[in-house]
This record gives sequence, C-alpha cells and structure tokens, in this order.
Amino acid sequence: MDRKMNIRNMPSQDHLLCGQGACAGCGVAIAVRNIMRILGENTTVYVPASCLLIFGGGMYPHSAFDVPFLYSAFENTGAVISGIKAGYRRQGKDVTVIGIAGDGGTFDIGLQALAGAAERNEDVIYVCVDNEAYMNTGTQRSGSTPFGAWTTTTPVGKKIKGKRGFKKDLMSVVTSQDIAYAATLSIAHMNDFVQKVEKAKNLKGFRFLHVMTPCASGWKSDPSATFDLANMAVETGMWSLYEVVDGEVSITYRPKEMRPVTEYLKLQGRFKHMSKEDVDTLQSWICKKWNKRYCPTAPPLEGKEDDLAYGGDGCEGV
Amino acid sequence: MNMYEIRFHGRGGQGAVMAAQTIAEAAILEGKQAQAFPFFGAERRGAPVMAFARIDDKRICDRTQVSEPDMLVVMDESLLEIEPVAAGLKKGGCAVVNSALAPSEIDLGVVARCVSVDATSIALEMLKAPIVNTSILGAMARADDFVKLESIQQAIMNRFGEKLGEKAGRLNSSAAKAAFDRSREGTCKGERKIQRKNAWLPTWQETPPGVALPRTTKAGMAVGPGSMSQNLTGSWGVSNPIYDDSKCIKCQRCWFICPEGCIRRSDDGALRFDIRYCKGCGLCAKVCPKDAIAMKRKGASA
Amino acid sequence: MRSVKALTGNAAAAYGVMLCRPEVIPNYPITPQTIIIEQIADFINDGELDADFIPADSEHSAMSMAIGASATGVRTFTTTASQGLALMHEMLYVPPQVRLPILLVNVNRSLGAGSGIWVEYNDSMAERDSGWMQAYAEDSQEVLDMVIQAYRIAEDPRVVLPFMLCLDGFILSHTVERVEVPDQEEVDSFLPKFKPLNRLDPKDPMSINIAVSPAHSMEMRYQLDRQMANARPVISEVDDLFAKAFGRRYGGLIDTYRMEDAETALITIGTATSTARVAVDELRSEGKKVGLIKLRFMRPFPHEEIRKAVKNVKALGVFDRSISVNGFGPVFTEVRNSLYGSGIPITDHIAGIGGRDLKVATFKEMFSVLDQSASGKKVRDCTWHGLRGEM
Repeated sequence: MDRKMNIRNMPSQDHLLCGQGACAGCGVAIAVRNIMRILGENTTVYVPASCLLIFGGGMYPHSAFDVPFLYSAFENTGAVISGIKAGYRRQGKDVTVIGIAGDGGTFDIGLQALAGAAERNEDVIYVCVDNEAYMNTGTQRSGSTPFGAWTTTTPVGKKIKGKRGFKKDLMSVVTSQDIAYAATLSIAHMNDFVQKVEKAKNLKGFRFLHVMTPCASGWKSDPSATFDLANMAVETGMWSLYEVVDGEVSITYRPKEMRPVTEYLKLQGRFKHMSKEDVDTLQSWICKKWNKRYCPTAPPLEGKEDDLAYGGDGCEGV
Repeated sequence: MNMYEIRFHGRGGQGAVMAAQTIAEAAILEGKQAQAFPFFGAERRGAPVMAFARIDDKRICDRTQVSEPDMLVVMDESLLEIEPVAAGLKKGGCAVVNSALAPSEIDLGVVARCVSVDATSIALEMLKAPIVNTSILGAMARADDFVKLESIQQAIMNRFGEKLGEKAGRLNSSAAKAAFDRSREGTCKGERKIQRKNAWLPTWQETPPGVALPRTTKAGMAVGPGSMSQNLTGSWGVSNPIYDDSKCIKCQRCWFICPEGCIRRSDDGALRFDIRYCKGCGLCAKVCPKDAIAMKRKGASA
Repeated sequence: MRSVKALTGNAAAAYGVMLCRPEVIPNYPITPQTIIIEQIADFINDGELDADFIPADSEHSAMSMAIGASATGVRTFTTTASQGLALMHEMLYVPPQVRLPILLVNVNRSLGAGSGIWVEYNDSMAERDSGWMQAYAEDSQEVLDMVIQAYRIAEDPRVVLPFMLCLDGFILSHTVERVEVPDQEEVDSFLPKFKPLNRLDPKDPMSINIAVSPAHSMEMRYQLDRQMANARPVISEVDDLFAKAFGRRYGGLIDTYRMEDAETALITIGTATSTARVAVDELRSEGKKVGLIKLRFMRPFPHEEIRKAVKNVKALGVFDRSISVNGFGPVFTEVRNSLYGSGIPITDHIAGIGGRDLKVATFKEMFSVLDQSASGKKVRDCTWHGLRGEM
C-alpha cells in the first residue's frame, strides 16, 4: 500500500523562493511555501490583493514565485482562476491552477466569485489563507475576525471594545455546494496539512483549502508564537481540522479534550483587553461549535491518529 | 530659522514613521510649521523603511522626499551595510545612530558630527520591547537644538499616550529623556563607500510590454519569476538559529515550519541552514522536539 | 458560402463571434445585450461553435475570467451593457496594460438613475480613459464586420490591445436588417491565428502584473499611450484588407458623407448617423451644402482625420448622446480639442438622451443652428435638442 505523504517524503523543491518579503514568523508564508512544494512546478498561481501579492507575487521586476503568476484585483480570485483553467483546457494543457486569497479576499469581497466557481465546480484549487483580518492594509476587521478581537476598525474604545460579531463559518458556505473537496488545515498539524494538499492536488473539480495562518503583526504576537497559536487554536476549538469529500464530513484530528479559550487568547495581544464577560461569550460560542463538530453525530476517528503521528514519535502533538 | 530637514532610516516595525510624526508634532507645539511623511514601500516588518520630516518657521510647500537632510537618523545600524544611508547628508549636518558604539567607531560613510545612543538597550530596559523610536527622539534633541527635549516629551505624551494609554506615554517619554542623557557626541568615520543600489530603470521603449517578465537578467540582476531570491532578508532579524546536528532526529518539522525556506534538506533528511535569508522568527527552534536548535542574538558570543 | 440573413444587431454580433472562433466566452446576461450570449449558447450547444462558455456570477467576474483566459494565450470574447460595463470598470483597466486583446461587445444603454434600459452613451464614454480601443457601429452589417475587424486589429502584433465594440441598445441591438454573413473559410483566412504577446505557461514561466512601484509605472503608462497611437494605421489597413476580402469598406477611424463641398457639418456616432444621412439628403435637395462625419472610433481618437475632413467647413456641430455633467458631451470635448486654434466655430448638440427617439427633424434643427453659427451669429456652445422647457 502506498504510504501517505508526510513532511519527510513530500517534495522539497520550493516554488515560493527565499527572499520573499513577509514579516518574520508569517503563517501565510509557511502555508503557501508548503502548498507550492506539493503542487510542484506545473502550477499557475493567481493571487488577489493581499500580503501575499506584495511579499510573494512581488514588486516589479521581482517575484518570489518561480512558476507562472498573475494578479489583477481583489475580489475576483474564483473568477480569474476559472478563466485561466479554461484557457489551459482549450490548449490541452493539464496545469494545476491555484488561487490563493486572504480572508478578506475570500470571506468578504471575494465571496461571490468564490461561490460562482464552486457552483460551476471549476477544476481549480482555491486556498484561503486566513489570518482573521485585512492585514495587508494594517489589520482591519473582516468577516473572519473572531469575537472580541482588536483590529483598527474594531478598536478598544472606552465604550466598545473589539469586534462584536462572530467569525463567519466559511466552510459551511463553501461546502453547501457540490464541490469535489474542501478541507481545513493547520500549519501545526503538518502531516495532516500535506495529506490534504496532496489529496486536493490529485482530485478534479473545485477544491477548497482553508488554512489558518497566524499573523504576528496583526495578532500582536511574537513571531515564534505562530506555531503555538496554530496549535492552540485547534486545542481550544477556535479552529478544527476536517475535510469534506462528496459532502461527507470527516474529522481528521480530534483534540483529546477541550482547552479553555484563554490559553489561546493569552498568546496574543489582540484579545488582551477582553472582559470576563466577553471571554465567556466567546467560550460559549466555541462550546456550541465544538459540540456540533465533535459530538455525538461526528464519525469516530478510526485510527487516523496513527497515520498522522508518523512513526508514532508523538511529534505531531496528537 | 532655515528649513530643517530630517531623514529617518529604520526597519518596518521600529516606529520610524511614528518618530517622524512625533518630531513634527514637537515642532508644531513650539509654534513652528512642520511636516512628516513616510516612504511607503511594499515590504513588511523588518524590511528597510524611510520616513521624512521638515521643520520651518514658514509654511512648508516642498513635499518631495528629503534627499539632502540636515539630520540623518539611523534606527538600525545594520542598515549601514545594505543601504546608501548617508547619501546626500548636508555639509555640517549630523547623524543620530542607534548603536552601542561610540561615534568615533561608527563608519557612516561620511565624516560628520554624530550622536550615538544604545536605543535598543534603553527600549528593552524601559519599554520591554525593542521599539526604539522614542529613545531615538531623545538623542535627536541632544544632537541638535531645532526642538527642545521638553517639546519632544510632550509630543510623545500626546501621540503615544493617546494610542497606548497614559502610562505608556510616560514610559516612552522617560525613554526619550534617558536617551538624551546617555547619548554620546563625537564624529563618525567616513571609510565606507556609499553605494547606490543596483537598479534597472528602463526607458519606456525598453520596458517589456504587458507588465510581464520571463526569467531573465536586466542591469546585471535577475528579474521575473523567482528573482526575489536575490533579496537577502537575513539582515532583518536580531537573532539566528544555532543548529546542533548531533541532537537532530531529522523529523523535518523545522524544515516544514520555516517561513523563509532557508532550511535546506538533502535526500537523507540532513539539514543545512542558509542564514542569509533567516529573519530570526525562531519557529524552527520552537518546533524542534529535541532542542537541536537554539536562537542566539546576533553579535552575541556563541 | 456567404449567406444573406435577416439579423438583429445582437444576432449579427453573435454570428461575427462564431466566425472568429474565440476559445473562451465568459458571460453574464443584461438587457439589451442578453440575446448575444443566448445566440452564442445556441451555437455552442448545437455544435456550431467549439468554445468554453463560462456563465459568470457577474460582469466583474466575466471580465476577470476573460483576463485569466486571455493571459494563457487564447482568443477571448465577452459582452455586456450599461450597469454591467460599470461593474466591469475596475477590471477594464487590466487588459490594456497587460496587453490582452479581448473583444468586448457593449450594447449601449443609459447608466444609473433617471434612466431605463434604452440607449445613451454614458456607459461606454465613462470607460474611454481605460486604454480599450472603442468603436461604434451604425448597422447590423457593420456590427458583424467589425467583430471580425476588431479581432484582426486587436491581435495585430503592432497593437495587442483590447477592443470594445459598441452598438446602440434596441435601435441597433433589436432591429432586424439585411446582413451578409461571410463564409467561415473566408474569415479563417482573413483572421490569423492568435499569437499572444505574453502568456502564462509552466514551461516558460512569466510573472504577469505583479505590483509596480513609481519607478516603473510612468514608463508603462506612456508605452500604453503610444501603443494606442500605433493602432491608428492598423485600423485603416485592416479596413482596406477587409474591403478587399469582403467587399465592404467603412473608412477606418471616421467615415464622411457628402462632405465634398460642405459648408456646415455634423459629427455623429452610432445609429444616429443613419437618421442624420436622411436629414443631410433632404437639406441637400433644398440646396444646402451640408455634410456628415461619422465618428467610428472614440479610441484611438481621430484628431487628424477630423481636422482634415472639416478643413473647409464654416461651422461644425457635434452630436452627443451623453453628457459629462456640467461639462459638455464627451465627443464634443474631444473634437473641440482636435480643432483648437482652427477658428472653426464648434457647437455641441445633445439629443436622444435615455433613448429618446431621434427624428430627422432633430438633425435638421442641429443644422439650422450650424447655419447661424456659420453666418457669424453667436449661438449656444451646447444645445439640448428636444428638451422641454427653455434652456
């Protein structure tokens, strides 16, 4: 039986090269670097307006992507990649076409083009690198920003402190359409990450990868905390790991027990103003999500841990 | 007074823009006219940035970038290695450099009056973060008398206090005072050659059509796909990983997590760290299950 | 085999598109354009046209898809009108600078509030600064022929710019006329295979349209300005070649009608030209020396051609079917610009706003203003014809 891809046997060749201009400890850079390693050189990248456009797509005349790259606007990722794929298809070129957009470009302004591409089941991969605010323009709230978080447009004022609404459940929006594949990814769950990218690469039709990408600048966290943030998000239920194939949801990692959200919040500055009441509000929102996700209708794990904890040395944190 | 022009060189996240705005506000508090503005580049935290300020008794109409400053403010001395920092410094102008060295030990590239201050240490000590802008402001008052220290402190209170709370305002104001007191005056060296960065500036006829570039070479440098690899980002950070391969189990977690891709692996899983690109985030050390990687502050003895 | 059909302007556009064999056709319906994509969908589903038909979620997405497809190096078509064009506005600024020779057929319809679904040019005129070539057709035959010419011009290696072909909503889009449909082989030999300037291709990667700093933008913009100028001779050349191949000639950037000894002349655009021809004929039969200049291209703008055509006229009028609010009609502004220093009195004539019916009498009224102007009388710079209430 073929061994599943893991971080030891995955391809090593980079296609987002060294010299990219992201901030130190950038979660987007980690996610995109590894996605590109797996997709390989027969790939064409579209990136809308975002940090990644600037630090990876580049500033003329330099680009950090060594594969074909295109940019045009902010809200049209789902549309442009559909067009690129159609152009290649007409020429008989079998090329992996990927669009990589941020949460602003996906949850908010790009939702319509994304929904259109999903509805048409376009043969493309759409990646949302989600750092929970408009980071490229200096941390404004998006539909992805969690409850209570500081952003420059949900400031901590004397009267109102942080975002009042909750994070949009984008995955359920996307998976409400008949698409080939959708998955959530965490850079802290590395083998799970590469297996999902590999799976997406080998399928046909619309594939959606949603990666949580901590942002040291916007989350007011230490660059070295990017991993812990990604990890603790899953352990507290602020993020969960699952995939949807043909409409069937399966959980790919189930935390042993739910950690209090404060263990996640304390790693970053954007939540430090939160009142006990607001923390409780967030916690009970998570509990509802947690129960819906993991209990009791969710299918059992069935030995997935063994696959993920490669060699069983416990490094994966499962 | 004649118009006084200042150019700040820093790195994204150090607060160069805030420093420029604060010095302008200090001058305005003294009844002068002032302007402050950044050069907006595209890069992120850690990348070289510039900011500008002008102070005058009269209305300031010139909105161009400052190319011949009266004062040069260098918030990160590593910039001297990679940027033409001292270019255009006016005769008789002065430089304020964030450095633990004495002015006479600093090679700016031009001989000039110089004030050095270890703003990083002051910031770490008083603000518990390497945000050096307020300390630098204190040293600027020491270097020249175009604005008084008191005005700078008031401007810090106004700007920082409003944003971060009164306590933070006071701490930052004290950092400025400490820097003023601890600054060292002297003359810097001019041995370094100030080299303009290599740039490809084609005419409109030479500009390739379609905002499109293949992998090629222009003006002696690579352009197009993958050419950003010439951008050695290793100067951005303050620390580097020290890798002990005897402890390494080749789990590849560091290789996966490095946002820069500066950890290279061979077929047998052996790792090599290319610190020319390392921004010092420390994630490799963080994910290592065997403590085979430790982060060391640059310049510190191993 | 050439065939003669009774086609609306929209159907003529669809036939033209089919003959040009675009590979990718992203689209979104909007009145009065919808019939074009319906007809194309029929062609594709009946197997008469082999193309990827992508039903977009909006016009913005349709243009975005066109950009993506064209960037891979295939011939691309899309079509819209009015609000749809406005929604595309952001994306319209990409193909010119990235040099993607997409063909867009815009069926003119008034834009915004205080209007309905009828013709006005405030939709396409608002896009004249974007870097698209822009032509206006007078009848169904011209629509079909210009689709073919448009691809030939747009894809010419000396040009490589996107092309917006405009036709009047309803008055042309929904009017059946006699149209000669060329033979597929004729069109195939007239229209060479599309060779892109740049293309996305993993075998030879390119970075296309990454962020550009002030260090390069200015040269790029000037280059685009010059590129549009390069299109001028190509437009005439293609018209000549088209005349040789198909027997119909349109005159390039402008066409003239009874201008030989004209003392007063009117510049018209779109279907108004046809009705104005009738007015000219009637005035000529009364002994008045009047003539017409049909503005075929708004971009590149025919400054030279207009200067030459009006050399001997005593007064010139410009018909505008839209208004830059409190700033004259856009065609007038361009024409007066062209003729600066010529001493010819020029007046603006706004009519047909929101699709109001243009009568022969309306054009005669314009010529009577020109008569006064030619005789040295002071007349209004800008007259709204058919407006109720004193101006």
